This record gives sequence, structure tokens and C-alpha cells, in this order.
Amino acid sequence: MPTVAIEPLLHHSLRQQCPRINPINPRKLLPFSLNFSSRAARICGSYSSYGRSKPLFVTACSAISTIPVTSQPTEIVYSETYELPLVQKVEGKICIRLDQGKDGDSWILTVGCTLPGKWVLHWGVNYVGDVGREWDQPPNEMRPPGSVAVKDYAIETPLAQSSSSEGCLHEVTIDFNCHSKIAAINFVLKDEETGSWYQHKGMDFVVPLVDYLCDDENVVGMKKEFDSWPGTFGQLSNMLLKSEGPLCDVEGIDEASPELALANRILEGFYEEQPIVKEVPVSNSLFVSVRKCSETDKNIVSLETDLSEDVLVHWGVCRDNLMKWEVPEAPHPPNTKVFKDKALRTKLQTKGDGRANGLFTLDKEITGFPFVLKVNDQVWLNNRGNDFFIPLSRAQSVGSPSDEIDKKVSSESFSGSVTKDEDPPIENQEVLQTTFTDGIIKEIRKLGTDISSDTKWKRKSKEAQETILQEIEKLAAEAYSIYRSSTTTFPVEADLETEELELPTELCSGTGSGFEILCQGFNWESHKSGRWYMELLEKASELSSLGFTVIWLPPPTESVSPEGYMPKDLYNLNSSLDEFMTTFLFLAVTTLGNRYGTIDELKTVIKAFHKVGIKVLGDAVINHRCAHFKNQNGIWNIFGGRLNWDDRAVVADDPHFQGRGNKSSGDNFHAAPNIDHSQDFVRNDLKEWLRWLRKDIGYDGWRLDFVRGFWGGYVKDYIDSSEPYFAVGEYWDSLSYTYGEMDYDQDAHRQRIIDWINATGGTAGAFDVTTKGILHSVLERCEYWRLSDPKGKPPGVVGWWPSRAVTFIENHDTGSTQGHWRFPGGKEMQGYAYILTHPGTPAVFYDHIFSDYKPEISALISVRNKNKISCRSIVKITKADRDVYAAVIDDKVAMKIGPGHYEPPSGSQQWSVAVEGRDYKVWEAK
Amino acid sequence: MEISVIGNSQMKIGKIEENLRDLCISNFGNNKQKSRVLFDQSKIKEKGNYGFRFPLRATQSNVIPVEKTSASPNSISVDGVNLFVGLPVDTVSRDNTLNHERAITAGLKALKLMGVDGVELPVWWGIVEKDAMGKYDWSGYLAIAEMVHKLGLKLRVSLCFHASQEPKIPLPTWVSQFGEADPSIYFTDRLGQQYKECLSLAVDDLPIFDSRSPIEVYQNFCESFKSTFSPFMGSTITGVTIGLGPDGELRYPSCHDSASHNNHSGVGEFQCYDKYMLTYLKQYAEKMGKPMWGLGGPHDVPSYNEPPCAKNFFKDNGGSWETPYGDFFLSWYSNQLISHGNRILSIALTVFGETPLIISGKLPLVHSWYKTQSHPSELTAGFYNTVNRDGYEEVIEVFGKNSCRIILPGLDLSDAREPNGSSPQSLLAQIKDVCRVQGVGISGENLSLSKVTDGFSNIKSNLSEEDPIVDSFTYQRMGADFFSPKHFPMFTAFVRGVNQLDIDVDDMPETRRVAEPVHVKSEVLQVQTA
Repeated sequence: MPTVAIEPLLHHSLRQQCPRINPINPRKLLPFSLNFSSRAARICGSYSSYGRSKPLFVTACSAISTIPVTSQPTEIVYSETYELPLVQKVEGKICIRLDQGKDGDSWILTVGCTLPGKWVLHWGVNYVGDVGREWDQPPNEMRPPGSVAVKDYAIETPLAQSSSSEGCLHEVTIDFNCHSKIAAINFVLKDEETGSWYQHKGMDFVVPLVDYLCDDENVVGMKKEFDSWPGTFGQLSNMLLKSEGPLCDVEGIDEASPELALANRILEGFYEEQPIVKEVPVSNSLFVSVRKCSETDKNIVSLETDLSEDVLVHWGVCRDNLMKWEVPEAPHPPNTKVFKDKALRTKLQTKGDGRANGLFTLDKEITGFPFVLKVNDQVWLNNRGNDFFIPLSRAQSVGSPSDEIDKKVSSESFSGSVTKDEDPPIENQEVLQTTFTDGIIKEIRKLGTDISSDTKWKRKSKEAQETILQEIEKLAAEAYSIYRSSTTTFPVEADLETEELELPTELCSGTGSGFEILCQGFNWESHKSGRWYMELLEKASELSSLGFTVIWLPPPTESVSPEGYMPKDLYNLNSSLDEFMTTFLFLAVTTLGNRYGTIDELKTVIKAFHKVGIKVLGDAVINHRCAHFKNQNGIWNIFGGRLNWDDRAVVADDPHFQGRGNKSSGDNFHAAPNIDHSQDFVRNDLKEWLRWLRKDIGYDGWRLDFVRGFWGGYVKDYIDSSEPYFAVGEYWDSLSYTYGEMDYDQDAHRQRIIDWINATGGTAGAFDVTTKGILHSVLERCEYWRLSDPKGKPPGVVGWWPSRAVTFIENHDTGSTQGHWRFPGGKEMQGYAYILTHPGTPAVFYDHIFSDYKPEISALISVRNKNKISCRSIVKITKADRDVYAAVIDDKVAMKIGPGHYEPPSGSQQWSVAVEGRDYKVWEAK
Repeated sequence: MEISVIGNSQMKIGKIEENLRDLCISNFGNNKQKSRVLFDQSKIKEKGNYGFRFPLRATQSNVIPVEKTSASPNSISVDGVNLFVGLPVDTVSRDNTLNHERAITAGLKALKLMGVDGVELPVWWGIVEKDAMGKYDWSGYLAIAEMVHKLGLKLRVSLCFHASQEPKIPLPTWVSQFGEADPSIYFTDRLGQQYKECLSLAVDDLPIFDSRSPIEVYQNFCESFKSTFSPFMGSTITGVTIGLGPDGELRYPSCHDSASHNNHSGVGEFQCYDKYMLTYLKQYAEKMGKPMWGLGGPHDVPSYNEPPCAKNFFKDNGGSWETPYGDFFLSWYSNQLISHGNRILSIALTVFGETPLIISGKLPLVHSWYKTQSHPSELTAGFYNTVNRDGYEEVIEVFGKNSCRIILPGLDLSDAREPNGSSPQSLLAQIKDVCRVQGVGISGENLSLSKVTDGFSNIKSNLSEEDPIVDSFTYQRMGADFFSPKHFPMFTAFVRGVNQLDIDVDDMPETRRVAEPVHVKSEVLQVQTA
């Protein structure tokens, strides 16, 4: 067996073979407000209350037990235990064993795993004679009890408690007969607890049962036998080539070999182990106690934790009830370093029992002890997004109301976010008037004004700043792409006169006029009609009168899949039966009647839409392309048709397709050869194709499929060349979740989308997946507060770069008959009430337009159009509570969604209800 | 063999199904379940690998209050630091057209929006006066000035009387022709090798160009610049930096094979072997009554890449540098450089003294071997600065005398990242102290694009001193790397940091907003091929 390399581990030194694993049930950690209402906390006298109605940061520790202690002879004045959730990597093994069964023909494949978990074997087989690496479902007799079929190519079988040796906790056995026509068993292992997949070198595990698969690099078990094989592969293929002569091309081997292979099948049992690494949440705790030393009148803070790693306490002290971190005067505890004059870093000492502790002696003037923990110099731990803070000054009077307020105010000033809109809880207001808290509030205000004064940045309003930042990034991206694309001299062409330093308001392909409303003009079933274009044509005038300005048509090209997302010959927009019959008969069989229409019908429908004032977007699938022919290794990577590229047009880093191009500039889509956009010939061909679609077919713009697959700079190239009226890219990846709950902060997610738009130089917009995801959580869990980010802006892409955000709630992938990520059922209109009143360019899904929702959608669109709400409209969030979200857009439209009550502010404007439906309401200014 | 843990996402698994939809529907619930769980995974991974999100939050929350409330009146006022960015060296090509004009336009706009004060533009002798003496072509540079003017940025011009290796910008062709005839117009080392990137300071006043001296040529160049750009003077163009030697810096090209005076392994060599320098040395030795000392440079010096201890001259405790001969030679050698500096800076004062321009010249930061007693790298570069003697007082005096400011590179350096013996921070502190005493302002520069926030925080701490002697900073320089996603976001954060000096660069929330290396390993399980 070759040497084993494991992916870099977070913790190289795992001291225990099997650490304490406490899988955390997400349900138990649901909103903090439930666990820690300030009232409850005060009753038990704890410091765990933050008095906040919503968890700002969903990462966190939670106090699991609090020991209320008053001044007792022990002098312990404060003690509390915090939970420290960490993710640890645990090493284990996957055991694969092939044994001969009871009689000579039956064999048993056993797959086991030494780690605890809810393991599922996701597997399929190759049959003798199969080409490529497609999986097939195994015959019924092979399926162990409890197996579930997944689509028609795989089986999922749960691993059972193991009875065997080798330390496997769980295993599954598959019996099969060696005379069955199975060439290989492929599998991956899935842990249902965490949802992780475990693969082998990034690919499937393959257990070959015939010889000719043995040379693949991801096979297991057969390597050493290979050389002693009677009649090795090389000889075999030579023989074949000779006997078949010129009649048989290279591909012939695959077709011809099965019989031989079967005849030659000599299975040998083997046993192999593969290392795996599983990430498990581990829960440790931190015990903090404060003792008062009566002799010295000093406070002694003691931290103790059962973390076995190196723990560094990054700490400071606070005086005078001000929440400033200070570095206390020496002497410091042992093993302490000063960090940037702002904090101290003390390493906790490990004791014999694996616990680490540290003692901090603090003068009596010190009123607070703030700290965070750093584990193994890598991971920071804090207290639910805030620093840990241990109050010291009035530690004796634990639980008094004023302390509670201290606590509240301090935690707010610590997190640096002071929400003006939020009124303090009523019971606290009185106390807040005290001079002490006034002082703090002044401090906070000063902070605010300090930040906002004096600086070139801060002279501009917050909103403008955000826009400016985006503009800066866009310009930098543009500059970068120019530098990247060429190092030669550019002819002087920039016209400075026209390039004023203004924020972009000009017509731009990413946005169209800015007043666009998009209709996705198909669903996952549309291809079935065989005449979808003609059906749409009949609806053109209706769509126009509903107020749509742009329609997105399905991918028009010849495709291996009837929906069009597996394009083959890009220039073949004629998916009629005749063409198929003559050229690709076998495809015609599978796609019989399953297409959208002919090229002429397409042109006709585009013309019809133009006539009613609707622009037409083509669905350009240019990340991948299905090949026409196999290369000499039997891999499908040679293209035919007008763009008869070879394997140089395929990215090199997807081993399934053996491309000879450069490495992919994005993520790979594994089901088809990914096109290498870094090649000039590829880009030139695609540009020419886009220009052809634009000019000859009549499309006005593009919906770009799977743009995660290649660098946005190439998209800019395509856009610049094809000059679309409107372009939008599909950049879809997952949002951030913690223990099953969506994080409040989705900035990283929207940043990735923004980064892509930036890479395109802002020439294309992108679907606002972030907003859709957040709406899911909002509606499914009644958490409307999620719709306002910490800066009081929409939390999706639309909050950062509205003019490039195409908001949507459903498409053919997420909804329709696929339902990969379906919008919460019955709440679609709340979603539309949100996106159709907000900035960004809204897109409405075909299925929703032609449903019972039509009148409501129509009404919302007309409100949008009547009030001239554009993709750059200004949204002012007026409420984001548990059960209601409300906003005023451009001071002209007010809206609310959610069951809670809301009336728009009756100040300068008078509002009249414009649209009303289940849990939503929209007003217009009179 | 390796095993990888991968996450998954809800991507479009559906798209690869062909006629399998029915089955898909039957498993729809299952699918949905899967994608939810999978999200967790990716998040957990992110946490594990990129735990640094915590510190940002943590430090941010504590730092802002501390810094804000402790902001003393002494801290730099925001408008106190003028922030410039250097334009690419080859902004104007040899045929006087603009390189990457669109990129520069976009870049300038970005800088303007960021609040950067202006840009620095290197103006090359070898481009403007390329073909013949006195024949100037300013068109390319005028176009840039116009562009900068339109965008409302300020422009600082660096007049470069040297050549550039990369990108290749040679000296004017006619100068090279004179050089071919008389190689002694170039700096020459012990072995007789010439450094052809700029003229030797020994020829400053010699009529080597058909009865004209380099000083006259430089002065005419400056005059031509002044009259050509008079419409921009004071409004757009606010400063001019005059080239003083190799890379524009006041120094000898003591490490001329490595193109850097901070060759860490070696100490460099004295450059006094062209025939004019040798003549001056001889005259000086005779005047000092030591004619035997005037026959050449010291014999016991190491060669370019040798460490100081390789030969006797620079050794600690009793090296020849401490002998009367050593003092004789080093005084002469450094005085030659100082006089040269004085000559050039006084041209600048003569030409630009009455304009509103801020005049400056560039000092190098020769920090190699600073921790040894003799400071050998500084000695070969012409700064007689040793453990016994402050060599920068006289140098900086020349700047002060000519009302010039100092451009000082290397504000991004820290001792920790330099090899033993080198100490950029100590040298910086020494020069700053002298400048403070003499009241000469410093404009800082960085030596390289900061690839790590480290460089930026070094710069920032240099700019945020209590007694700000460095009141302006030029970030070098714009180009592909500058705009790369790896660098630009850090620069943005830095600019914001400079404009709000009381917040640490690495504490800025913006560093979180910009592109992090987010490794979302969301690959779809390979299930089918086409």
C-alpha cells in the first residue's frame, strides 16, 4: 500500500484516541433569548444575561451552569461555567475487505468504519461493458437490507453495528456473485450526522472486479496482484488490437473486453484500511471564579478549563466602569506577554489531570476582567460573539439591578454595535437615567462622533461609503483585469471628458435600465411540451401587460439532457427530431419530443417579445460542454460540431475528463467536461457564438449558468464582446450555518457573490442567493429580525450592491419539480412582497406567475412600476423584529411582511394600502 | 494516498439527471434533508480553519474604545498625513505613449474615491530627452498630468536622472554615446566595472557633453519641466523630487551587481575608481599631506557579496575603518556624496524655489549590517555613519540648507523580517531623529508591495508617531500586483487606517469584508459522467 498522507489537521496532537464527543443537538442551542432572558438570569443572579432580544452572533459559548454565590466565608464572589464548543478532527479508518463467501462464486465486500457516527454507504456499480465512469444501481440481490435507492444510479445502505474485529464500530457487507456482470463497485462514505462525504483521493472508492480497471489511481485492493496477473492488461489490449485490426478503433477495447475480462476474472480477497478524518464538535468548559483576598484586598480571578490544547488567555482589565481594555501594571502572572500594548497574553498552565488553569491577581480598582481565549494559537473562543467579561467592582452585590444594566451596556459597547432604534427594556429605563449610565452613553456617543468626524472617509454618509467601497473595488478589479489581460501598450482611447467621477448611474449591462423586472420563462418541465417557444409566444402580451420587461428563456442549444443544461453543439439550436434522427440517433431516442422548439420558432418568439417591449435573455451554459467523441483513453472530451475543440479546451484539474487545458479558474462541475476559458481560442469561439446569438438569433442578454466554474474576468470579456442589454450570473454556493441554524451574519456569502461581480468589472449582475437563503430562515422560523444586517441594511447582496443584485425566490433548480432548495411553501407572496418592493432587480418564477398568485404578483409589480422603484432605490428598514419586518422604500412605498403588526410612520406622508395579502401589506404614499 | 473530507452543497445535482426526474421526485425529501445538513458541515470547516474571525471581533471590540478615548491631541490630525500612490514606472513608454491607460484611469478613480491625496509620477530623463540634448518631448507626461488634474488628484513628480533595469528604461541615447566614448563618466569599482545606470558624481561639473556639464543638463531639464508644466504648478503638481543618483537616491551604487544597496549577504564595494574620482582622491590626499593615501581606495575590503568580517577593513574592534587612513578615506568618500547632493539640490532650489512646489530628494535606507560597529554597507554607499559617528547629520543638513524634504523608503520594513545584522528600524529612528533636530520633513515610502498586513502595520506605526516627522507617505507602486485581489483589499484597509490612525489596520472591520481566501469545498459528489 502506498504511503498515506492525510489532509492537514487542525490539531496535530490528539492526545486521546477517542476524545469525548458531544454531538450538539442544534435544537438545544436554539435562540439564546430563550435560554437567557434577562429576567430569568436575574433571578438566579447570574452574569449570563445580555438582555438582548436577538442573538447577534450565532457562534458561541453559553453558560451552562451558574452558581449564585454571595459574600460567604469562602470569599468566592463570582463563579460561572462557560461552555466552549470547538470542532475537532478525529482520525479513524475505513476498512475495506473482500472475502470469498461460502461457495466459490459468492464474494463478500465489507466496508467498515472505526469512528462513531451515522454512517451510510453511498454506492453503485459499473457493469461490464460500461463506458465512462457512470454509476449504475446494483442488481436487487446485491442490495443489503435497509438499502435505499438514490435516483437510478446509486444505493444508500446504512452501516450497522459491527460484529467483526479490526476495531470497526460500524460496517456493511455486500454479497455478490462473481459471475454477475459487475465490473466494479464504487462507493463513498457519508456521515449523516454531519453530512460529510468521505472520498478516496477526491474521487470515488473503486473496488474493481475485472482486471482492466486496475490501472486507475483510485482503486483499492488490487495493486499488488496486478503484476502477477495471468495475461496482463497490456498484452490483452495488444492482442485485441491485433485481432480486430483497423476495423476497430481504440474505443473498441472497452466494448470487446468484457467477455475476456469475465473469463479471466480471478478475484482475490484483500483487506485495506484508509485513514479518514472526521470533524466533530467537542464541548469543553471554562470555569471562572473570583475570590476576594481579604489581606491584600485584591481580586483573584481563576480560570480553569478542560481543554487539552494550549490555551492562551488574551486579556486586559477595565477601570472606572469604562469598557476600555487596559494593560495592568506589572507584576503580571507568569507566562504573560504584552500584546501590542493593548492586551496581555497569558498561557494557561496544564495540570496533571489534563485541565489547564491560570490565576490573575487584580487590584481592587479594577472593575472588570475582559478576555478571549486562543486555542493552539489558531482558534479564538469568545462568549457568543462578545468578549468574556468578568465584573469585579461590585462583585459582592451580585444580581443587583444596576449591575444588570452595567452588564447590558457593557456588552453593547464591547460588541461595538449600538443600535439606536432599539429601546431599552422598560424596566431598565429608569435606572438608565442615572449619571453613571449617562456617562457610558456619552462615551459611546463620543465614539460615534469621533469616528464620523475628521476623516476623509467618514465625511460621507454610511450608505455612500458602502457604495463608494464597491465602486473602488470595481475599479480595482477593472484595473487588475486590464493588467492581467495584457502587458503591452494600449492605444490611447480612454475619453476622460465623459468619465466623470460619479457613482455609476449610466446604463450598464448588469442592470439594463435599472427598472427591469425579470420573468423566468420556463420551469423544469417546459421541455416536455416540445413546443415551449410557441406556448410562450401566446403569453407574450400577457407577460408584458403584467409589467415584465425581461424574460429569461431556457438554454437553447443541443443538449445531452432535455432541459438544456448539458450543452453539446453550441451552434445547434435546432433540437427538432429530424436533425437528431440523421446525426445522433441514440440521442434522439432519449430526447424524443422533449425540447423547446426549433431555431426558427426561437427567433419567432424573440421577435414576438420584442414587439411587446420585453427583452430576451438567453441561458448561456458555458462552464461545461458535453463531448461528441472519446479520446484514445475512452474519455469523452473531444468535441464536434462547429466548435470542434479537442481536449485542450477542457480544464486539466478534473481527472474524470483528462483535459489538457490549464487548471480551472473556478470550481468544477463534475458531470461534464469543464471548458478552459483561459485559452484564447476557446474565448474567441465563445465570444463569436455569443455575438451570433445576439445578432442572428436576437437575444438581448444573458443568464449565465454556473459562473462559479470560471473566473469572472472572463465573463467581463464575454460581456464586453457581446454587449448585452442585461446580464446576470448564477453564483450559487451555500450560506453559513452553525449546528443546523443559519448564521445571522451572511457577509462572507454575499461577499463571494460581490467578489464575482467585481471580477466581471460590474458588467454583470448576480442572482441574490443570499437574500433567498435568509428569506428561507426568516419565513420558516419566524425570525424577521434576520432581514436587517448589523448596519441596518438588507442582509443580502441587495444590501451591498443593489444595482447588481437580481433578487429571486425560486427557479427551475430550487423549485419546480426538482425542488433542490424550495422556498417555504405558502409563503411565496411574502417573498415577492419583499423583492418586488426592494431595490435590486426582481425575478419572478414562471410557476408563480401562472398560479393563484398571479393577481397579487401583478399588483405588486404595478406598485413597483407606478412608484418608479428601481434597482438603486433607497430602502430604509423601519422594523426588524421577531415576527415582523417593515421598510420604507424611496419614501414612496412602505411594506411589511410577517404576522406581527406594523403601521407605517404617519409623519410627513399619508399612506394608503396598495396591496394586502396573507402576512404582508404594502402601502403607497398618498 | 489521501482521504479528503469534502462538503457538499445543494448545487444543481438535478441538472445532470436526464430522464430520471421521477425518481428524483420520489427522493426529494431525502435530498432536501441532505442539503441542510451539509450546510452545517461547510460552516464547521470554515470555523475550524479560519478561526481568525474571532480575533477580529474580539480585538475590534476592545480596541476602538481604548484608542478612541485615549486619542491625545498629539496624535496626527487626519489631514496631517498626505497619502500618495506611485504610478507605474513605465506609465509613459519610451515612445511617449501611455501604458495601460485604461487601467491607470480606473486605478486613479479608485484612489480618488478612497481619499488618497495624489499620485507620484516618475519622469524619465531617458524618455523626455531621449534623442538629443536639449530636445524634450513631454507629451506623454503632459497627458498623465492632465488625467490626474481631471480627477482632482495631486501629482508629485520624480525627475529621474538614472536608468531603470526593470522595466527597461535606459539613459538618453546620446548620453550612452558619450559614455561609450568615455566610460569614466560612470561609477567604477575596484575591478574597473562600470555602473551604467547613472552618471558618476565626479563628473557633475565637468563639461563632458560637448562643453556642457551634467549639472547644466539637469538644470535645463528642470527648467524645461517647469515651463512646460507651469499650468499645473501648485494646483495639480504639488511636489518635485529630484534624482540624486542610482534609483534616484543619494548614494553610491555600492552593490551594483545586485541592483540593491541592501544586499544582505555582502557589504558592497567602494565606487571611486573612475578616473575623475581617482583624480579628486589624489588631490585631496596631497592636500592632506598624505599623498600615498591618494592612490586608490582601501586594499583590505571584502568584495561585493562577502560579509564584513571577510577582510580587515570593516571588522569590529580594530578594523582599518577606525585607523587614521580609514577616517581619511571615508571622510573624503562621504563628502564627495554630500557635495554632489548639495549641487543637485541647489539646482532644484534654484529652479523650483519660487514655485509653490515642495522640493525633495531621496535618501536610501541602507540597513544591512547596521548592527555591526562599522556599518559597512552604509560606508560603501557613502554614508560615514558608524558606531562612533553620526553620518547623517551632514547629509540631512544639505537637505535643510536647500529647503528640501527627504523621501525615505523602507517604512514597511521591520527588523524581525530582516537577517541578523540588519536593522531598518534603528536606522529609520536615527534618520528621523536627525530630521527632527534639523526640522527637515520626511515623506515615507515602502520598499515593496506589502504581501502581508505586517508591512502595512509597520508603515502605519511609522506614520502615527507622537511627533510626526513623517507627514506624508507614498505607497509604491501601482501595477498588476497592486490591484490583485491578494493585495488591493489590504491596501484599502490600510488607507482607511491611515485616515483613521487611531484604529489598527488589522482591527478594521473592512478586512473582513474583503476577499478572504474562502475555501468552500463544495463539490458535488461525482455521480455521473456525460
